Amino acid sequence: MSVDPLSANNLTFRYGDRDVLAGVDLRVGEGEVAVLLGPNGAGKSTLLKIFSGLLHPHAGEANVLGLAPSAYGRREMARILSVVGQDPPLDFPMSVEEYVMLGRFPHHGFFGQATAGDRQEVDRALSMTSLHELRARGLGELSAGERQRAAVARAIAQGARVMLLDEPTAFLDIYHRVAFFEIVTRLAGTFGVTALIASHDLSLCAEYGERIVLVAGGKVQAAGRPEEVITEEHILAAFGVRVVCDRNPATGTVRVTPVRRGAEKPSDRGKGKIDEA
Amino acid sequence: MEEAESRRPGDKRGDAMRGRVLVFPLLAAAFAGAVALSLSVGPVPVSFAQLFRILAGGSADGVPGGETAAKVILTLRLPRALLGGLVGGALSSSGVAFQALLRNPLADPYILGVSGGAAVGAMTASLLLPGDSFLPLPLCAFLGAALAASAVFLLARRRSGISRERLILMGVIVGAFLNALIMMMVALAPPGRIPGAVYWLMGDLSLGTPGRVGLLAPYVAVGVALLVLLSRGMDLLLLGDEAAFQSGLPVERVKTAVYLTASLLAGSVVAVSGLIGFVGLIVPHGARSIVGSGHRRLLPAAFLLGATFLIGADVLARIAGPSGELPVGAVTALSGAPFFLYLLRRNGGKP
Repeated sequence: MSVDPLSANNLTFRYGDRDVLAGVDLRVGEGEVAVLLGPNGAGKSTLLKIFSGLLHPHAGEANVLGLAPSAYGRREMARILSVVGQDPPLDFPMSVEEYVMLGRFPHHGFFGQATAGDRQEVDRALSMTSLHELRARGLGELSAGERQRAAVARAIAQGARVMLLDEPTAFLDIYHRVAFFEIVTRLAGTFGVTALIASHDLSLCAEYGERIVLVAGGKVQAAGRPEEVITEEHILAAFGVRVVCDRNPATGTVRVTPVRRGAEKPSDRGKGKIDEA
Repeated sequence: MEEAESRRPGDKRGDAMRGRVLVFPLLAAAFAGAVALSLSVGPVPVSFAQLFRILAGGSADGVPGGETAAKVILTLRLPRALLGGLVGGALSSSGVAFQALLRNPLADPYILGVSGGAAVGAMTASLLLPGDSFLPLPLCAFLGAALAASAVFLLARRRSGISRERLILMGVIVGAFLNALIMMMVALAPPGRIPGAVYWLMGDLSLGTPGRVGLLAPYVAVGVALLVLLSRGMDLLLLGDEAAFQSGLPVERVKTAVYLTASLLAGSVVAVSGLIGFVGLIVPHGARSIVGSGHRRLLPAAFLLGATFLIGADVLARIAGPSGELPVGAVTALSGAPFFLYLLRRNGGKP
């Protein structure tokens, strides 16, 4: 039996007196695209930071390939797990290619020269994210969507089996959101990369996520396939918002539409609801 | 300048390739030119031809005043030029390191108060230690520099991190306090105890004797070599602490090493040549616009450019004064302060 790339057992983490995570259980299997959903402050970023080794749990455990993040050497860990987080730096002039090449650090270290293999990986990452044309461009000249793709390219160049993505589509328009999820799905499908994505985009997550983990109040409220987790009851409980969940007529996946307060027509109540079967 | 250049993405790669080959020979040529200029300019004028003959070890026979010229060049001007080169190169390297460490393009040992700390360290040593013991000065200056840098970092740190403006502000405050200490020391020191203190505080290369060049050279060599070894780490620090950590960098260890090395460079330089400001701010910017932010190329480029810049500033300081010379620190500050203002305003629009 293979070890799950990411797993958490009874994970607890506090900032001061506040329990940010209170007994979280979680499992993401090999090659799976899993999505962490939850309101702001639900502890999604904290969970990702624990998996990447930036934070340490106060109780319980979080494992990457069966071992605690702190059990790995820094570079060893970076070869297994990559993170797409904040935007690339803009204070210093750096080309897209130089930036993506930084992702190869865990492979060549402090003193190694960039090899032909490194350059090949960088090329692959650039073409997967359609950044080939822009490789000589400075990061400061890119649009928000292109910068986000550059951040994904750097993570791809890192060549890790597990990828964590923290609200990667927050500032992107719908075209770039879709493009982003396509890239991640392709990574999982073609290279067996396991991805855990923290996101707020309910419908897109339902469309692309194979597994949804809904976190609220420091606990996992529901986990499973999109249609099991993204329901009107769960969303109301976690976010405090009335939504209608129906099916996307084109793909049959769950579609989420918020209901404006007081605007509901009495006759529509319950319409378009997913059959419980 | 850089933005204008990279707005033409079409032929940028070709330009970059040509640039790659030529940059370092050009920088080395500029450095050699500055040294030659520094050797030939002064009250005893020396032509480039004479200069070449003297440096090649040939006699200055047949040249009027040849003996004197040879003596002036070999014992006065050459050590001074070499000292200028070491100091300029070390300050620029230190600036590159502090900027990467703090992810702040406005960082510079002088603005951060690190040079002030080094001055206090060196002066304390020369007040307390007997006679003309010069050897421990660089080490005491290093200690002062490291303490001042820690104080500034700790004061500027908030839970959310270190903001650019807050860091500069704390550097200015710590610097002002250290300046007060320096003034007190100068005022209260027994006469002759800190020789040439006033000039030294304004940044002075006239102390360039072969002995001092020899004293400073190992510190600069070790410091620059360490930074070159750390250059990959500094590249990753530009991503920010979290991203650098997640990319496999032992962030805290690398930051400590960079901070100590940058303090060593700034401190040892201050011990020998006093407070020379803004070199560590201006030169890294210039070097980045030539070779980019990758530290493997940036460090040597900044060193050469810094050496050239300071030797040039020293030549200016020597010829600009109507009677005698100006302190070189005044020349660098005259060009550096407006440049700092320009950077601050340009960066002000960014989040």
